[in-house]
Amino acid sequence: MEIKKTALAGTLESSDIQIMLSQGQGKIEFSLVSDVAKQFGDQIKATIEKVLAAYQIDDALVKVVDQGALDPVIEARAITVCQRALDLVDQPQWEVL
Amino acid sequence: MTESIQDLSLTIGNNRNHWQDFLRDQGLTDFTDQEISAIDRTVVLVDDQGQWVGTGSVAGQTIKYLAVVNDGTQNAGARFNRLVSELENRLAQAGIFHLFVFTKPQYQSSFEHVGFTTLAKTDWGLILEKGTPDIEAFRRSLPVHAQPGQRVGALVMNANPFTRGHRYLVEQAAQENDLVYLFVVSQDVSLFTAAERLNLVRAGMADLTNVVVARGGDYMVSYLSFPAYFIPGNEETIRYQTALDAELFKQQIARPLGISRRYIGTEPQSPTTNLYNQTLKARLPPEVAVIEVDRVQVSGSNQVISASAVRALIKSGDLDGLADLVPESTGQFIKNHYQDLHERILKG
Repeated sequence: MEIKKTALAGTLESSDIQIMLSQGQGKIEFSLVSDVAKQFGDQIKATIEKVLAAYQIDDALVKVVDQGALDPVIEARAITVCQRALDLVDQPQWEVL
Repeated sequence: MTESIQDLSLTIGNNRNHWQDFLRDQGLTDFTDQEISAIDRTVVLVDDQGQWVGTGSVAGQTIKYLAVVNDGTQNAGARFNRLVSELENRLAQAGIFHLFVFTKPQYQSSFEHVGFTTLAKTDWGLILEKGTPDIEAFRRSLPVHAQPGQRVGALVMNANPFTRGHRYLVEQAAQENDLVYLFVVSQDVSLFTAAERLNLVRAGMADLTNVVVARGGDYMVSYLSFPAYFIPGNEETIRYQTALDAELFKQQIARPLGISRRYIGTEPQSPTTNLYNQTLKARLPPEVAVIEVDRVQVSGSNQVISASAVRALIKSGDLDGLADLVPESTGQFIKNHYQDLHERILKG
């Protein structure tokens, strides 16, 4: 699906993650800021990519600022940002959850 | 211990005084009415005793007056992150996803830790940005990019409005380079609107095929990098701001785009622009040569051609001599919109 508008979800507080989703240049592009990017960067990206795939998003710029979030938190924030970016906030895609 | 975010209205005098006292205690002392009136929203972080432990504000797309109490009871970094996060979420709700911070060098790592990237840095200050569309998107949006080995020049002008003097300056650059970027200041605070200025530059440059006319955006001589260009500032302020503007141009514009020459006109009349030129000459070389071109004069007289002379003609209502100062396209526009422009000038 196509990104309708830029969206932001999450916070910069400890154990949370902030994800900004906007229109891409024909593919999924990540920028990740995290103290644990070396150890967990790939895992964080994989978790977000899984959610993007569930929403059939294959063209997006994903800006991520991680403050040490655990996987379920990352997944929850990713779902929220996708719903917002696709303008689907009032019609949640339950099958993704 | 829980801390909560509260909104603060600075239009209420008591609030404003309390807020200024709080910031003074945190070492922030610079309050001009102009800056305060530009603030769109302010939040404070309050502890469970009702004491303020932090505050932050937003003006347009810029985070301002951010300060937290570092009293050892709670991690000051957590307070900082909470406030930045709150301000970002509020901007996002307002549809703003691209923001800036203008701060002191010692806070660089705090902001980078929450996802900001540094655009320019001097001994005195730095500019960071976060979100999208960012400087990379700006560079990508330029219609033409130089091929390796090409000689590339650049100019930045307000062109309020575009004159024969501007034209002469760009012609020099066009002759001496394979490709020339001509950035037109985007801030909309001049007699001619940003769109009018850009269109007049395009019209006046149409025959020079190696000149790329583009908006300067937030990155060149904007409220962000160089507010004193638009609002009066003292000499020290201008020096600080022009240094950041020059560094931003050098690191984020010239280097990635392969620009090796920046053209400027000599500036006998405006002390601000003159200081700006001096800063460019001090900061850009050796990577970017600064080429200063003498102002052209009206043929047969010693009057230099300048946009302020054109504005003076519009103000006086006497358009004789306009053709000496501006190219055909600008002259036609002024004649067609004379009433409107004249009223704008009188309104100030």
